[in-house]
Amino acid sequence: MMYDAVIIGGGPAGMSAATILGDKVKTLIIDENDRLGGQLVKQTHKFFGDHEHYASMRGFEIADKLLKEIQKKPVLISLSSTVIGIYPQNTVAYVKDGQIQKVQYKKLLLATGAMERQLPFVNSDLPGVYGAGAIQTLMNQYGIFPGKRFLIVGSGNIGLILAYQLAQSGVEVKMILEALDKVGGYEVHANKVKRLGIPILTGHTIVRAIGDEKVEGAVIARVDKNNIVKGTEREVVVDTICVAVGLTPLIELAEQSGAKVSYIPELGGYVPLRDERMRTTNKDVFVAGDLSSIEEATTAMMEGKIAAMQMVEDLTGENLEDKIYDDLNSLAIFRSGPKSAKIRTGLEKMGINVPKIDLPKPQRFERYDDSKLHAVIECTEEIPCNSCEYACKFDAIKVGININSVPSFDPAKCTGCALCVTSCPGLAIFMKRSEDKAATLGIPYEFLPLPKMDDKMWGLDREGNYVCDVKVKRVVKNPNKTNIVYVELPSEFADMVRHVKYPSKESPYVCRCEEVTLDEIEKVIDLGVTDFEELKRLTRVTMGPCNGKNCKMVVLGILSKKTGIPISSLSHGTSRPPTKPIEFRAFLKEGEE
Amino acid sequence: MRDSYEVVIIGGGIIGSAIGFNLLKMGVKDICVIEKSYVSSGSTGRCAGGIRQQWSSPMNVRLAMRSVELFKNFEKDVGMDIEYKQGGYLLLAYTPEEEEDFVKNVEMQRSQGLDVEILSKSQIKSKFGFMNLEGVRIGSWCQSDGHANPQIANIAYSMAIKRMGGDFITHTKVESIDIANKKIVGVQTDRGYIRTNTVVNAAGFESSKIGKMVNVDIPVYGERHQILVTEPVNHFLDPLVINFNHNYYIRQTKHGSLLMGQGDANPMPGEDLGNSIEFLEEMSQKMVRDFPLLRNVHIVRQWSGAYDMSPDAQPIIDESKDLSKFIYATGFSGHGFMLAPAVGESVAEMIVHGKTITMDISNLRMDRFKNHIEIEKNVV
Repeated sequence: MMYDAVIIGGGPAGMSAATILGDKVKTLIIDENDRLGGQLVKQTHKFFGDHEHYASMRGFEIADKLLKEIQKKPVLISLSSTVIGIYPQNTVAYVKDGQIQKVQYKKLLLATGAMERQLPFVNSDLPGVYGAGAIQTLMNQYGIFPGKRFLIVGSGNIGLILAYQLAQSGVEVKMILEALDKVGGYEVHANKVKRLGIPILTGHTIVRAIGDEKVEGAVIARVDKNNIVKGTEREVVVDTICVAVGLTPLIELAEQSGAKVSYIPELGGYVPLRDERMRTTNKDVFVAGDLSSIEEATTAMMEGKIAAMQMVEDLTGENLEDKIYDDLNSLAIFRSGPKSAKIRTGLEKMGINVPKIDLPKPQRFERYDDSKLHAVIECTEEIPCNSCEYACKFDAIKVGININSVPSFDPAKCTGCALCVTSCPGLAIFMKRSEDKAATLGIPYEFLPLPKMDDKMWGLDREGNYVCDVKVKRVVKNPNKTNIVYVELPSEFADMVRHVKYPSKESPYVCRCEEVTLDEIEKVIDLGVTDFEELKRLTRVTMGPCNGKNCKMVVLGILSKKTGIPISSLSHGTSRPPTKPIEFRAFLKEGEE
Repeated sequence: MRDSYEVVIIGGGIIGSAIGFNLLKMGVKDICVIEKSYVSSGSTGRCAGGIRQQWSSPMNVRLAMRSVELFKNFEKDVGMDIEYKQGGYLLLAYTPEEEEDFVKNVEMQRSQGLDVEILSKSQIKSKFGFMNLEGVRIGSWCQSDGHANPQIANIAYSMAIKRMGGDFITHTKVESIDIANKKIVGVQTDRGYIRTNTVVNAAGFESSKIGKMVNVDIPVYGERHQILVTEPVNHFLDPLVINFNHNYYIRQTKHGSLLMGQGDANPMPGEDLGNSIEFLEEMSQKMVRDFPLLRNVHIVRQWSGAYDMSPDAQPIIDESKDLSKFIYATGFSGHGFMLAPAVGESVAEMIVHGKTITMDISNLRMDRFKNHIEIEKNVV
């Protein structure tokens, strides 16, 4: 059978291409799974990006939407079909229902995606060591939990998102390790997991898994320039280790098709050489998505569309240049932010012209009037997303022409409607109203059960530490499941609290350096100790290496709540040097070493 | 706070608190302690917590030994665990003169019944192999010496006082003391007037100010001493070590952190409690040399406190000759905490019985300064 266009891989790139090719030329799309969607079907988080490219929608919803579009068109879909090779005379051979099938193409789009990278460590073959994708499949597609206590290795977006999804499911994520000295994924994704109390240890890696028949723990250690720092090894108790250290393009079919590949680490390793419009060194073979460079589903969809339009031009002679230019332009803007620097370098290595696009600075507005409910936008990293701008019906939020720009927010125009809170994929927008004593805080909430009016909860800070008790005042349910929980809390803490949770059985740590719990502090206050300084000396709160930087406000809040004395009237101790712990040897004179 | 008390104690540090506690124990219930800030806000709150009996005068040794007896029962008596540990005190001698003094002192201390002994360098080496003992000649070692947490002890006393029916009034300043016919009639505070006939001046380095209010000259002044604390490390150091020659002391707390300090070359007089970077430099050099294992340990915090210095670096405990029932317990010169339980007992006895019963502390009277001054040498 001869097709005008054969698409191998029904993920975001292949599906997007099918929506364009489908009603123009005779098209076949082949996928080895029993449904289209690729990785999208296991993505329960909201996507970043441009509203036109499905920003704010969750991955599986995008897959459903693309499928509906494809189904409107005369596209042939062959599912559960594994391509075993590309053969001469433009022949694709695949197995379906145990039978070899052969089809020919005039134009081929390879959208085979990528596979997860391995990380070598001792005992990595123990049951209980998984790739991130495997865990997402088990959990989000089949509702199976491979474990109860997870260690995640890798802080790219995949590792961060997985950690969040695991926490949503109610299992414990002990920590996320990142070998580099900074978090790999988007800051807003990192913030989402940090405020759940999941620590991200940068400069750390896994040394080995512990266990005889299955994972019972792991040894982790500091790394310095790829070397494990001796003496920093320590054990953590986990039953599942999830490796999320990146993806490698699946290039086998591309090579068989005659496309040349080249090693470009910035794009993910060996990748097919291709031009701006996704054409490989074989003029009839195109690539898109993670196969061409490891990136977002959003760019995969854009690439799929561009490749498809070029294929249509090749096959029918129809002029789609305006649309292609538009999409190339959107893609260039999408990739103009700092997070895409690696991709730009990789593309330049491939000889693709990457236009320089300026990132305008956000506009600054007057001080917020805190007495009315308004949005608080905590999105400071230049990432390609403008869903808040689109959500705001009152023109209060501007991202502008470059989707990577940080949003500008005009509080005067904000009506407090909170549509931006619901739409933000990074859950980086909050609502706030602060008066003399009490403040109202609106927090995006994607956990079950949903809080109820008047429930008492714990307010947690950006690292997931207990700050104060809060009271639920209102719960706004939203169709996209980013609900908003409005809580009341002392106004001193309106800028500290960024998440809420139901109280645990165990009392929360207030001072983590000295491991002092809320209970212990309250007990001492109940003995009649109402002076911060005395409380400190009896419990050791604020006396650890951080000298109270982290918990002093929280302790004062507890004291204030128990005694009724406003925080401003309490003594708050002395700030003594050194502000950071310093080793004795730092004071040796040179030559005394 | 009521408007009248039998006894008013000025100063809620370890000394004032110990006196208040002992008065209540002896049945004097109508007392109050007035503290200008919070409990342990003065010298006690900045103190390293050593409890030593190895002194150079027999009477001081006996007073310290009595204190140790009381520290042993502190938890039961006062009602709180104060991290008391008899981990010993090790004093190190580097010069022939020091060696001679140590031998003489140990002989005297043993005659008072103290379990003290001279250790040879090799004995010290086998006990504390982690120390660099270069230049050390001998050590003086007393196992029943030790240390505790002064801040918790201070707060423990204050809570016990309240529990036993006394008043402990914090954040209240004494402004003046009223006298009529050479007798005390009352104390004016910034929060009201208190009628009383008996005032105890336990105001530490500010006791001379209180003395001035009633024209009693108290020759005590503040002197800044600096101290630092490290991060907690595994327990390795039982005793408090004093090195007079290298000018420092060090001890490990129950929590694991190390507390240490020195006598600055030119100690700052007065009440300035700032910090110096030189202190950290000097201490770091000494520590890395004498305790090489501390090289990579982190300093977490530094602060300073005022010693309430007397002319001979020994306490002044007495009742004024010119003003009846004006009693002072001050001038502890850096060792008030360790003596507090015994001093509290003696001063309470002075108030209840007109004289001390348990201990003879006559050598600590004010009139000793009329004669020759013998300065206590065993001070850091």
